[in-house]
Amino acid sequence: MKPFHTLHILNKRPGHPGFKSCLSCLESRDALLLTENGVLALADKGLTLEGAVYALSADLVARAIPEDASIANVIDYDEMVALTIRANRVISW
Amino acid sequence: MKTLVIINQAPYGNWSGREALDMALSLAAFDQPATLLFTSDGVNWLRKDQQAAAISQKSVDRNLAAASIFGVSELLADHQSCHRFGLDDHTMIEGITLANINADFLRAYGHVISLS
Amino acid sequence: MSSPALSFTLVITGAPYSTQAPQTALAFARATVAAGHRIDRVFLYGDGVYLASNLASPPSDEANWSHQWRAFLEEKAVPGVACIASALRRGIVDDNEKQRYELPASNIAAPFSIAGLGEWVEGVARSDRVIYFHGGN
Repeated sequence: MKPFHTLHILNKRPGHPGFKSCLSCLESRDALLLTENGVLALADKGLTLEGAVYALSADLVARAIPEDASIANVIDYDEMVALTIRANRVISW
Repeated sequence: MKTLVIINQAPYGNWSGREALDMALSLAAFDQPATLLFTSDGVNWLRKDQQAAAISQKSVDRNLAAASIFGVSELLADHQSCHRFGLDDHTMIEGITLANINADFLRAYGHVISLS
Repeated sequence: MSSPALSFTLVITGAPYSTQAPQTALAFARATVAAGHRIDRVFLYGDGVYLASNLASPPSDEANWSHQWRAFLEEKAVPGVACIASALRRGIVDDNEKQRYELPASNIAAPFSIAGLGEWVEGVARSDRVIYFHGGN
């Protein structure tokens, strides 16, 4: 599997300043993983996310946010570990 | 491998920035290359003439003086955030280099820490 | 095909209940070990040190993050360290600090221990991956 340059782990809700900071540092060879309140981005009609986007299933299910494969690849914690290994660098925002 | 420690919260309202600074100082103390970046609300660390005794805290500009003495290689500030908060040569402490925070900028750092 | 075993340092900076950090970190930690990787240490920093208190008493029908983490660390023989500067400020102390500061009690829960940021620097220098679990608010 092709490695990612950077995995960005984003647990901030879309209104948090860290959310914007993270997105402004994404590039095409990176991956974005939404966790915790970050998964609210999938329910936020005002947002468009680009590139390789992942979201933690447990956090979506907890919040009753529907999984939408057209926006994000929904993964479990095992796959989250695999992503941290597949990336050369991991940044938690 | 270079480490970037990002301070994105203003001083005094909470301890997050101080704890980020301690991380940068510890890296420097153990001879690990570390750069400190102030962005977002964090640029307010850089204002001249802070008098935190008024709220029973120590002013952070002294801690920043320690940073370069300890060996933190660079103190950087996000250009846009400085503009947003009205920080320029007259209002900012010395020794700060402006930078643009984006993917290009981050590429140089193998390890990036952003406490919240 | 599985990847070679890597070493991880996990840093938790969010407190239990105020944030999800301890929960996400524990699920990640369990998955890391299940995949055959090693956790060099778990480092508690900032508000994350509250996880090391032995006084937390949530209702019995709620998750007890301190207990769950302690059980995991013991079972998998992973060192858990609370940063001394963060811990002292927030009232998480061991017997040494209790004596040093002449406090009425100590409250750090085994197997957590108290140490300086040097432990974290060691993780940055030596672990293959350092993953941070922050507060989200």
